[in-house]
Amino acid sequence: MNNLSSNYLLKSIRWLNLESNSNTDDIYDVLVTNGRIELIKKKIDKSKFDKQKTRIFQCDGLIMCPGIIDMRVNINDSSIENLKKIQMVAAKSGILSLITLPNLKPSLDNPATIEHLYENSKKINLVDIFAYGAATLNLDGHKIAELGLMSEIGSLGFSNGVNCIQDSLVMRRVMSYASMLNKPVIQHAEDQFLAGLTDSSNTTIRGEMNESEMSTRLGLVGIPACAEVIIIERDIRLAKLTNVHYHVSHVSTKESIDVIKKAKADGVKISCDTSPPYFYLNEHELSSYNTSYKLSPPLRSENDRLAVLEAICDGTIDTITSDHQSHSNDTKILPFSSASTGASGLETLLPLSLNLVNQGYISLKNVLKCVISNPKKILNLESHMISIGSDASFIIISLSKSQIIKQHNLEIGPTPFHGIPVQGTNIATFIKGNLIYEDEDFKDLEYV
Amino acid sequence: MVSINPINNTAPPIANLSSPHLIAIEGMSKIEILSLLNRANYFADIEISKIKKNLCGYLILNVFFENSTRTRVSFELAGRRLGAEVINISVDKSSIKKGESLLDTANTLSAMKPNLIIVRHPESGAPKLFSEYLNCSIVNAGDGRHEHPTQALLDALTIRRRLGRIEGLEIAICGDIANSRVARSNIHLLNTLGAKVRCIAPPTLMPSGLKNLGVQCFDNLIDGIKGANVVMLLRLQNERMSGSETPSKSEYFHYYGLNNEKLKLANPNAVIMHPGPMNRGVEIASSLADDEEKSLIKMQVEIGVAIRIATIEALNFKNNLNE
Repeated sequence: MNNLSSNYLLKSIRWLNLESNSNTDDIYDVLVTNGRIELIKKKIDKSKFDKQKTRIFQCDGLIMCPGIIDMRVNINDSSIENLKKIQMVAAKSGILSLITLPNLKPSLDNPATIEHLYENSKKINLVDIFAYGAATLNLDGHKIAELGLMSEIGSLGFSNGVNCIQDSLVMRRVMSYASMLNKPVIQHAEDQFLAGLTDSSNTTIRGEMNESEMSTRLGLVGIPACAEVIIIERDIRLAKLTNVHYHVSHVSTKESIDVIKKAKADGVKISCDTSPPYFYLNEHELSSYNTSYKLSPPLRSENDRLAVLEAICDGTIDTITSDHQSHSNDTKILPFSSASTGASGLETLLPLSLNLVNQGYISLKNVLKCVISNPKKILNLESHMISIGSDASFIIISLSKSQIIKQHNLEIGPTPFHGIPVQGTNIATFIKGNLIYEDEDFKDLEYV
Repeated sequence: MVSINPINNTAPPIANLSSPHLIAIEGMSKIEILSLLNRANYFADIEISKIKKNLCGYLILNVFFENSTRTRVSFELAGRRLGAEVINISVDKSSIKKGESLLDTANTLSAMKPNLIIVRHPESGAPKLFSEYLNCSIVNAGDGRHEHPTQALLDALTIRRRLGRIEGLEIAICGDIANSRVARSNIHLLNTLGAKVRCIAPPTLMPSGLKNLGVQCFDNLIDGIKGANVVMLLRLQNERMSGSETPSKSEYFHYYGLNNEKLKLANPNAVIMHPGPMNRGVEIASSLADDEEKSLIKMQVEIGVAIRIATIEALNFKNNLNE
């Protein structure tokens, strides 16, 4: 799959420049040499190139764009073996930067663990793995962690990962510090008392799904939709107080969207993301206790799903994240309440996002903004440019290639999208001039 | 107690079920339910010695992940009356961390080649999981807050034998609806048979969207009980509560406990039911629980065995048809 010594000429590829000052959207020829984009021109004469040294691809109908930035990934641990797998899978899926939550073992609540992760990640040197530093020590929500030092090491923001910061004073302090450091605070918004997730007493009952007629029928413990918006409303007030950039993760309810929309209109520094389950699926998927659909936040009502979809299209939701977590199948073949929470998402993020373009919900440019330009802006990332002279790190996508997502075809499971047909996917990945991944449909001219 | 139903000399046919499992009442047809009730009614009337022991060599595993006396014994008795071998297995919660090795446990049990496994489990959906992975019939003997189908069936037959019908009756289910699998199964079953179901519970124990299941909801026992033909009381499920759903047992009894005075608001011939075990002085005044004229609690237990005989027999029949 790897071909590390060639130069590449991409003929007739569509280049849609996502930089805000550009309207470029046209067909070009692109030459990659020595790890850089050497030339982008309307026409580059292929007869000048030796096929032994330069692989030439005819790219009609294909689109070149910077790699996806996935703002919410749980990578589980910092071991080289694991990072290698994550980077390979991400590269194949078109994700060239990902930001992990601090919920690793050990947790990323101090500069040393983040540095360790970054060092290990660089040894593989495919995809950039960044981290959010833990907002509080041990992610326990009580005492703020060394935000300044973690920021110096390169943490892109602060988050309590899969836990929500409940204590308003702690949240205020985290926000004040993050504001000083000019880093965003990323919140999983969920009132843990309403959601029944507190561990303060043995008698606490854990919420398992959206609270509704469905939860009543299934006899599962419901988490009311308002558990999300209550925290967002509180946090917006604190964000105004501290002037921090506040980012809400995996928004799942209509009420949350309404509140975020209003805050944006009021000039609050707020952004948000959602993940494919919340605009493809609703709570009715749970009717047979299928644990692939056990997610946090839980799948909501059809009305919520439609509101999330609309908010992606109208720009209220800034970015789409994979919300990736890997779980062994053993933790899902259990009764619903014992099963693990969360699903994999790296491999399905781009196909499910591009599918929205094919379904006519959103333009290609806007969906690419959602997965590339907007996270870049939120996180102040400098890479991810396509221009003459820049690193040749980019992906090539096909809007027409269709597939049916299958559990057994994915390298990391479990997916809640088994059996769903999608159109549009990544078919080649270049990283620093190397063709790291090429789909069987991406053929160079020798074979054409 | 004298039954309204005359003893029928011609036995009704073996109940006809569409599934090889009995997991939930929701989704069962009226015909299926009635065929079970009719067959169980026959078993309730005939002499025990006349029940044909057709299930010799048939192995039933009673697998209980939660404590139970009456349901376990009832299933055991039902199996034995049909001539089946019944083995009780209590899975100690401390020995397997809840759920962790459920399928391993199930596979071990499966190796004993049972024909039927009766499962009680604290988690909703666990019997469904068993039915998906094991190669034998599964009967749900109560799963979490989800369903307890044989309890609803025996409740219905008890009502029918005492009041002669179910259709059109006003039936009030009172108590901890949120945590009750008995309530859910009863709501589905009684609605299917044409009763008018009301649920009475403090707002903290009334689950979301319950009205959409086709019931009238009351947070006040006085209003909810008016004119009711049947008052079905539920136990406060302390083991499934987080501690503060009700302020105290005595306050609960004050508002939602049934006593003679409140019962006067119901239909003069109203009967009282309780799936047991009862908390006297919490859900029901002690004197009322012992009032044999009004309380069907003992009868529920008797009918329970008949319902389970009919169920086991029907699932065996279904499987033989499929073979």
